[in-house]
Amino acid sequence: MNKIMKRYVPFMKAGVQSLIIYRLNFMGFVIGGLIYCFVMFYLWRAVFESNGGGIFLGFSMTDMVVYLFLSNTTTQLIFSDVSNEIGEEIRDGSISMRLLRPVNTDLSYMFGELGTALMKLVVLLIPVILGLEIYRFYVTGTIVFNPLNFLLYLFSAVLAYIISFRVNLCFGFIAFYVKNLWGIGILKNSVIGFLSGSLIPIAFMPEGLRICLEYLPFASMSYTPVMIYMGKYGAYEVLFRIAIQIIWAILLYGLSKLIWFGAIKKLCIQGG
Amino acid sequence: MIYAEHLRKEFKKVVKEPGLKGSFKALFKPKKEIVVAAEDISFHVPKGEILGFIGPNGAGKSTVIKMLTGILTPTSGECRINGKIPQNDRKNYVKEIGAVFGQRTQLWWDLPLQETYLVLKEIYEVDDASFKKRMDFLNEILELEKFIKSPVRTLSLGQRMRADIAASMLHSPKVLFLDEPTIGLDVVVKDNIRQAIMRINKEEKTTVILTTHDISDIELLCDRIVMIDKGKNVYDGSLHELRENYGQTRELVFETDKSSKLTKEQFRKGLNPNENDLVIENEKNNFKVRFNSNKIPVAEMLSYALSVTKVKDISVKDADIEEIIRNLYRQGEALNE
Repeated sequence: MNKIMKRYVPFMKAGVQSLIIYRLNFMGFVIGGLIYCFVMFYLWRAVFESNGGGIFLGFSMTDMVVYLFLSNTTTQLIFSDVSNEIGEEIRDGSISMRLLRPVNTDLSYMFGELGTALMKLVVLLIPVILGLEIYRFYVTGTIVFNPLNFLLYLFSAVLAYIISFRVNLCFGFIAFYVKNLWGIGILKNSVIGFLSGSLIPIAFMPEGLRICLEYLPFASMSYTPVMIYMGKYGAYEVLFRIAIQIIWAILLYGLSKLIWFGAIKKLCIQGG
Repeated sequence: MIYAEHLRKEFKKVVKEPGLKGSFKALFKPKKEIVVAAEDISFHVPKGEILGFIGPNGAGKSTVIKMLTGILTPTSGECRINGKIPQNDRKNYVKEIGAVFGQRTQLWWDLPLQETYLVLKEIYEVDDASFKKRMDFLNEILELEKFIKSPVRTLSLGQRMRADIAASMLHSPKVLFLDEPTIGLDVVVKDNIRQAIMRINKEEKTTVILTTHDISDIELLCDRIVMIDKGKNVYDGSLHELRENYGQTRELVFETDKSSKLTKEQFRKGLNPNENDLVIENEKNNFKVRFNSNKIPVAEMLSYALSVTKVKDISVKDADIEEIIRNLYRQGEALNE
């Protein structure tokens, strides 16, 4: 384990260093996400007000605020850019340099991203959670924060990241076949945005669709941890949801390995 | 050490007809074509040898190097390096090799150069003492100190290439693959790099495979050359032999006085060459004389030309690799007919 860390931590450090160099880009990303949250907040407030306030489909306006901000933050936190990175490396052929290193390809990508994820944890998640709890205290007059739920949320978010990473990895390997991912990348992002409940909470969907979506890996990517944080699940259901996440993580791990072994034979390096 | 047996690599390529109409056609009904980048390539390299792997652009050199380094999987054929098949256990195999692709970099683009080396140290599990010794050695021949603290993206091409060469040698690889390591570099940097290759080869018996278009790289470094063209072997042997057999063509360029001229007639009188052994082209007062140096020695040609005309300037051109290959091919075709 120690040996593994020693070997892959450099990838993480390199990721963080690049992030610091392009910090303006990173800040833009974070601030853009927050602005989006506020836009969604006003939109949903209008929905709630036209509905006469109070509870809407099991969500109070306070719940909705927590959901919006936390779901968006989680989506950003577990965001994996690995498909783009693979796509780019295939397009310009630099994937050959990665293959020359005596490291596990998946892990080298993953650690490269973990640095970014840690940064987001510090500069995004912690402030957002603080802000939300202050807001909840202000509205309800009591401290609603539940440390156990927060820890479960973190655990579930780690699983969510693994799932998101594997989905993107599988997707990235498609680049071995199609050479350029840009177009279908956009398709992928909007499909995931909808299916993972980050646009509209899955709880608001019609019954049949909702049950389907809850079992798909996309719900595991941000909906599950957020619902856990909000205490919408009982003890039994928390375990059940986390079990689903673990199953998806394992299945997608296997799938990504399978695609990789097929794809690596197809690899052709473009341009010299 | 290195065995390559009948390596073959095919790619599928979508062929697009020209223009917008062609683009639409390719979008909906792509026409695929199989491109053979390497058709049938075999050679073997004993331990400690520096092999020059040469051929014209598009001959398949890089493809072969990529198969040998485990990046590409051959369509058919097999390669074994150190008894290992690169594609079978890539992760362990690449620990023993180093590679430089002249057109790409393995350095971390945004990190200071020094950091890259520390990262590589961890990845290749080099211990502290060897790392220090190695860095001192590389610093000495490649002169890295001046830019070792700068981020890689700010390095000049020559600096970057030196840094890349150093990175490939850091973990004392048993085999070094260098794909055009001197491309686009000035004489001083080229010399640095050649020194590094020579010393590492001498001191550690590192086997080196080198592709290049620069004939002096080959002259200075290579014990043997393997030449390929259109994905097939065309020559395997020493450079000297190749020169003897195929590279007899020399080119002298004479710049003459405005009033004087060089013509075939003049040479016919004195040297009496065969029709094929002498070609003269002229552009204003520059006369290019190409001749077979086996039939007419260079010294004789030079003194004769000086005796028949007033010469202001002379330059001598060696037969370059492209020329040698052209000759090889011409002979091959002649034999087939």
